[in-house]
Amino acid sequence: MKGDRVTGISHRQDQDEFRGATGSLFRIALAPTIWAFHFLFCYAGAAVWCAKFGTPGGIAFLRLSIAGLTVLALLAIAWQGWRSYRQWAPHDHDDHVEGSHRFLGHAALLLSVISFVGVVYVAMPALFIGSCL
Amino acid sequence: MSICRRIRALHPVALPLLLGGCDGPQSALRPGGQDAAQLYLLFVVMLVGAVVLWLALNGLFFYFTRVNQQQFSLRHGNRIIIGAGVILPTVVVGSLLAWGLSIMPSQRAPGDGLVIRVTGEEWWWRVEYWPPGADAPIVSANEIRFPAGSRTELRLTARTYIHSLWIPSLGGKMDMIPGRETVLTLHPDLEGFYRGQCAEFCGASHAMMAFESVVMAPDDFDAWLAHEAAPASRPQTPMQVRGQDIFRDEGCGACHAIRGTEFTGSVGPDLTHLASRHSLAAGIMEVERDDLMRWIAHTRDIKPQVAMPPYDWLDAEELAALAAYLESLE
Amino acid sequence: MIDRTPQGIYPPTEAMLAEPVPQDVRDAQEDRLRRVWKTKTGIRYLMTVNNSEVGKWYSLTCFAFMLSAGVLALLMRVQLAFPGMQFLDADRFNQFFTMHGSAMMFLFAVPLFEAMAILILPAFLGARDMPFPRLSAFGYWSFLIGGVFVLGSVLFDAAPKSGWFMYPPLATEDPGVGSDIWLLGLSFIEIASIAAAVELIVGVLKCRPPGMRINTMPLYAWYVLVVGGMILFAFPPLIAGDLLFELERALDWPFFDPARGGDPIFWQHLFWIFGHPEVYIVFLPSVAIAAMIVPTMAQRPIVGYSWIVLSAVGTGFLSFGLWVHHMFTTGLPMISLAFFSAASEAVVIPTGIQLFVFLVTLMVGRVQKSLPLLWIAGGLAIFTAGGLTGIMLAIAPFDWQVHDTYFIVAHLHYTLFGGMVLPVMAGVYYFFPFFTRRQLSVRLGRWAFWLIFGGFNLTFLPMHLTGLLGMPRRVFTYQPDLGWNMLNLVSSVGAFIIAAGFLVFAWDLLRPGKPRLQDPNPWKAGTLEWSATLSDEDWGVRSIPFITSRYPLWDQPRLVERMAEGRYYLPDAPEGHRETLVTSVIDGQPVQVQRVTGDAWITLAAAVFIGGCFILPTFHLYVAGAISGLLGVACIIYWLWTSTARIPDKEMKDAGLGLRLPTYAAGPQSVGWWAMWITMLGDATAFASIVFGFFFYWTAGTDFPPAGADHADGMLVLLSTLLLTVSWAMTMAARRLNRRGSVTGARAALVAAPLAALAGGGLLVLSVLDLSPTSHVYPAVICALVIWTGAHVLVGVLMQGYCLAGLVFGKIDPDHDADLWNVSLFWHFHVLTVLVTAAVIGLAPRLL
Repeated sequence: MKGDRVTGISHRQDQDEFRGATGSLFRIALAPTIWAFHFLFCYAGAAVWCAKFGTPGGIAFLRLSIAGLTVLALLAIAWQGWRSYRQWAPHDHDDHVEGSHRFLGHAALLLSVISFVGVVYVAMPALFIGSCL
Repeated sequence: MSICRRIRALHPVALPLLLGGCDGPQSALRPGGQDAAQLYLLFVVMLVGAVVLWLALNGLFFYFTRVNQQQFSLRHGNRIIIGAGVILPTVVVGSLLAWGLSIMPSQRAPGDGLVIRVTGEEWWWRVEYWPPGADAPIVSANEIRFPAGSRTELRLTARTYIHSLWIPSLGGKMDMIPGRETVLTLHPDLEGFYRGQCAEFCGASHAMMAFESVVMAPDDFDAWLAHEAAPASRPQTPMQVRGQDIFRDEGCGACHAIRGTEFTGSVGPDLTHLASRHSLAAGIMEVERDDLMRWIAHTRDIKPQVAMPPYDWLDAEELAALAAYLESLE
Repeated sequence: MIDRTPQGIYPPTEAMLAEPVPQDVRDAQEDRLRRVWKTKTGIRYLMTVNNSEVGKWYSLTCFAFMLSAGVLALLMRVQLAFPGMQFLDADRFNQFFTMHGSAMMFLFAVPLFEAMAILILPAFLGARDMPFPRLSAFGYWSFLIGGVFVLGSVLFDAAPKSGWFMYPPLATEDPGVGSDIWLLGLSFIEIASIAAAVELIVGVLKCRPPGMRINTMPLYAWYVLVVGGMILFAFPPLIAGDLLFELERALDWPFFDPARGGDPIFWQHLFWIFGHPEVYIVFLPSVAIAAMIVPTMAQRPIVGYSWIVLSAVGTGFLSFGLWVHHMFTTGLPMISLAFFSAASEAVVIPTGIQLFVFLVTLMVGRVQKSLPLLWIAGGLAIFTAGGLTGIMLAIAPFDWQVHDTYFIVAHLHYTLFGGMVLPVMAGVYYFFPFFTRRQLSVRLGRWAFWLIFGGFNLTFLPMHLTGLLGMPRRVFTYQPDLGWNMLNLVSSVGAFIIAAGFLVFAWDLLRPGKPRLQDPNPWKAGTLEWSATLSDEDWGVRSIPFITSRYPLWDQPRLVERMAEGRYYLPDAPEGHRETLVTSVIDGQPVQVQRVTGDAWITLAAAVFIGGCFILPTFHLYVAGAISGLLGVACIIYWLWTSTARIPDKEMKDAGLGLRLPTYAAGPQSVGWWAMWITMLGDATAFASIVFGFFFYWTAGTDFPPAGADHADGMLVLLSTLLLTVSWAMTMAARRLNRRGSVTGARAALVAAPLAALAGGGLLVLSVLDLSPTSHVYPAVICALVIWTGAHVLVGVLMQGYCLAGLVFGKIDPDHDADLWNVSLFWHFHVLTVLVTAAVIGLAPRLL
C-alpha cells in the first residue's frame, strides 16, 4: 500500500472475491431455494410414487412424507428468517443509507416470508387430495 | 341460466356483448351437469371477487394520482404494502386455492359403470360404448350420448395427433394423447343437446372437429344403445339400393363400416346408424340430402386435408342416390 | 507474480473531487476520448459494437418484427370477423397464428429486454459500454439473421404451422420445412439471447461505478440480474428440447413417438419449463422500467427498495414452479396438478407486492402528471385484469373448463399488453429524451394511448365471454350458430383500432423535426442516465462517477457538473484504448481497468457463418452447414485471439483521483471468468434437461429400459471417463505449472490433455456404436447424452489447443493466464458432465 491514505480496497486473492460475493447473494436466495427443493421433492415424489408404487387409492405414505418434508422446510426457512432478521433489525430506520450487509439481511428476511407462504401453499394439495387419479 | 335470461329480456338488442347470450349450444355458462355447475359457481364467485379487487386497486391508483394529491406519510405506505400487498393476497388467494383443491376430487370421481372410449382421429371422433360387463364395444362416431343422472367415464386416446375432448356445458376438457390413456368423468343432469369441440390444436382442420353430445333419460339411453348395437337397416327404395351399389363400387367400404353389410373398413367413421346422428363430418354439417351430397363431392374444400378424397366425379344423380342410402341408415 | 493490488486513495475525499481540471487538460482528454469512441460512418458503420448504436438497432429491429407480427394478427382478425370467412385458408391461418406467437415471443418480447438493457444499462451504471461489446454486436447480428429467416418464411408459404408451442407429434410429423425453420432459426436466436444474458449479468455485477453497492444500484439493474438468471435456467431446457426434436425430425430418433417408447408429453414439459419463466422474463423487465419511472414521477425515492428486490427475486424463483399449469388438461395425476396450482397462486404475492410498492411510492410522493405515467396507469389497469384472470386460471378445475379457449387468449393478452407492451411504451416516452435529446409529442402520445388502450379493451374484453361460450383457440373459422358472431366482429374492429394507435406512435417516433430539448433532465429524475450532457458524444460518460446514493442526481448535488468536467475516474484515454472500470460485486470497489473491444467486422462475419450453420441444414445442406459452422468457429477463435485477454503494455494504470488499478485480471477477478462461469451454468441446465429426459421416460413408461435392450459398453464408458478425467487433471496441472513459471511443463500437459480427451471422447462414442437409436427411445436418449458430451469434448479440446497456442506464441505467460483459468473452469463443468453421463448411461440402466 502506498500513499498517505491506505486504500479502502481489500485486494482479495483469487477465489475469495468470488466466494464472498456468491455467498452473499446465495444467502438471500437461500429461502426460495428451500422452497424450490421442497417443491421439487413434492412433485417428483408424487410423480414417481403414482407412476411406480401407488395404487390409485393409497397415497397415505406420500402424504405423510410431504407433511414431514414441509415441517422440515418451514423450520429451515424460519431459522433463515430469524438469522436475516438479526442481520437487519437492530438499527435505526434510515432506509436510504443502510449498508449492503443490512440490506441483504432485509431482502433475505422478506424472501423468507414469501418462501414460507409458498411452502405452505405447495403443501396444501396433500391435505385435500388423497389419490393418484 | 336465469340471470342471463333476465338480462336478455331487459335488453334484447341494447347489449351487443350479451346478444349471443350465455346460452349458446357450447357454453360453459349453461351448465347441464354437476361438473359444469360446480365450475360455473366457482367462476361466478371468482368473477365477483376479481371485479371488486380490480376496482379497489385501480381506484386507489386513480385516487392517489388524480384526486387527492397530498403526500401521505410513509408509515401509511408501509402499512398498505404489508396489509394489502402481503397479508390480504395471502389470505384471499390461499382460501381460493383451498376451495379449488377441495373440488378437484369430485370433478374426477370414478364413473358409475358405463365406460365410453373415445379416440381422437384426424379430424373426427371414434366412439365406443362399453356398458358394464360388456366384452365388445358398441361402435359409433362423432356423437356421444350420455344417460342423465349418473357419472360416465370417458377413456380417451388419440391415433396420431393430440386432441382434446371438451363439452363445455357438461364439464372441463381432457386431452387425448397418442400412446396414453386419459380419463374424464362427467355427470350430466339435464337432458338435451350439448355441442362439444376439439380444444387442442391438431392441424389443418382443427376448427372442423366438433360433435354433438346428447343427454338422455336413462331408459331412453338404454333403448337407444340397444338400437345402436343392432346392425344397419337394409336399403328399401330402389334409389337407396342404387346408393348402396355406388357405395360398394366406389370402395367406400374399405374405410367405413356398416354393420350387417359387407362393409367393414375401420379407417373412417362407422356409418351403421349415421342417420340417427345429429351432425355430419364431425359436427359441422347436417345429416340431410344436400349436405351429404355436398360433403361427398367436396370433402377437402369443406374440411382441409381430410383423409376422405372428394368424390367429385359422381354426378348429381349418383350423389343423390348415395345420400339417400346413407339417410336410410337410421 | 506481479502485484496487482490497487494502489492509492479510495474512496476519494471531497477536496480531491473539488479540485478543478485545467481547461487545456480537459480539451486534450476530450479529444482523445472522442477519437477512441468515435462511431464509424459509411459502410464501416456496420462494424460498430458500441452499446448505444447496437442497442438502437436492436430496439428498432424488435419494433419492426413486432409490427410484422401485428400485421399477421390483423389478417387473422379479418378472417375471424365473420363465421365461415374465406379470406385465409386453414393452412395459411395456421402459419399466421404460429408466426404471430413465435415472433411476438422470440423476436419481440425477449429480445426487446436485451435491446433495451444494452441500450440503457451502461448509462444507469455510469459505464462507457457493456463489458463485452463485440458479444452484443454478435448477438444483434445473430438475432437479425435468425429473425429475418424465421419471419421471412411466411412470405414463401413455408412457415411453421404447428403453433408457437410446436407440440409433437403434429410438429414432428409436419412434412414441410416449417418445423425445421422454427427449431433451427429460433435455437440460433436463443443462443444469442443466452449470450446477451451472460453479458448483462456480468455488466450488473462487475461494471458498476465505484461506490455503487449492491443495495444502491438502480432497481432496473436488479431486474436485469434476476431476468438474466432466469434466461440462464429457462432457455437451455428449450435448446435441449430443440436438439432432441431436430434429432427426431432429421434422424428419426423417437423421443416423442409413443410407438417406440417416446412420449409427446416430454416435449410439453421441456417447452413449458422454458415457456412459463419466459412469461416472467418478458414481464419483469417492463416492471423494471416502471420501477425507474414511478419514483421520478413521484419525485421521491422508491418506498421499499428491499420489497422490490424481494418480489423480483421471489418471482424469479416461483416462476419455475408453474410450468404444468399449461398442462392441466393432459391427464396428469391430480396431486401433481395441485402442486403447480399452489405455486401458481403463490407467485401472485410477490407480483402484487411490486404493484403496491408503486402505488405507495406515488401515494407518499408528489405526483407529476405526464405521458409516461399515463401509460403506466393504463398498463396497471390492464395488467391487474390479466393478473386476476390468472388467479382464476391457476385453479386447475376452472382451467379445465377454459384452457385453450379464447378466455386464455384474452388473459394472456391482458398480462402481456398490461405487463409488457404498455410499460415499454411508457419507457419509450420516458427515455426518448435520453436517447435522442428530443421529446416525443404529448398530443400524439395521448392519441396513441387512447387508441391502443381503447382498442385493446374492445378487442380482448369480449374474448373472455367468447371463450366461456365455448370458442376454442387456433380455429381458422367457426360455425354461425354458436353465439360467437357479434363478439368476434367486435374483437376484429378493436384490433384495427389498436393498429391505428401503433401507427400514430410509429409516426411520432420516426417523424423528423422534433424540437431539441434545452434541459438534459426533463423529468427531473434522480438516476445516473440523466447525467449526460446535451452534446452528442459517443463516449457514454465523460468520467465514471463515485456514487454514494440510489438517486445520485438528487442527493449528490455537484455530480453532473463534475462528471462533465472529467473530475472522476477514467477521464482520459491516453493509450487510445476503449476502457471501462471493473468493480467488486457487493460493495462496488474499483478493482481493475478493463480494456473493452472495439469496432470490428469479425463479429458480423461470425454471426453470418454461425447463422449459416443453423440455417443451411434446414434445407438439408448438411455439408455446407458444417463448413459454415467451421468458418464461424474460426471467426470466433480469431476474434478471441486478437481482442481478449491481451497482455497489456503497462500492468498498472492511473484511473484518476489518485487511484492506480491493474489492467489485467485472471481467474475470479476477471469479467471473462465470470462470463464463463455463468455460461456454464446455462450449459449445465441444458445437459440436466436431457438427463431429466432419461428419468422422465423411466417414470412415464413401463418398458424403460426395455427388457433385453443393448446397453452402452460398460468397460468402454469406464475407460473413457478415466481418460477424460485425466484430461481435466492435465488442464488443471497446466494452469498450476504455468503459474509457477514452468512453461515447458504447462505445454507438455496441454499436449497430453487434448490427446487424452480425444481418446476418451472416441471411446465414449465407441461404447454406444452398437446401439440403434431409431429403434427405441432408450438407445436414443443414451446416444443423445453421448452426442452432448462428445460435442463438449470437442469444444474442450479446442480450448486446450487455444491455450497451448497461447503458451507457444506468448499470449499466455506465468503472469497472464486468464485463458487458462477460463478453460480450467470449462473443464471443471465438463468433467462433471462426463461423470453424470457415465453414471446415467453406464450405471443407471443396470440399477433401474
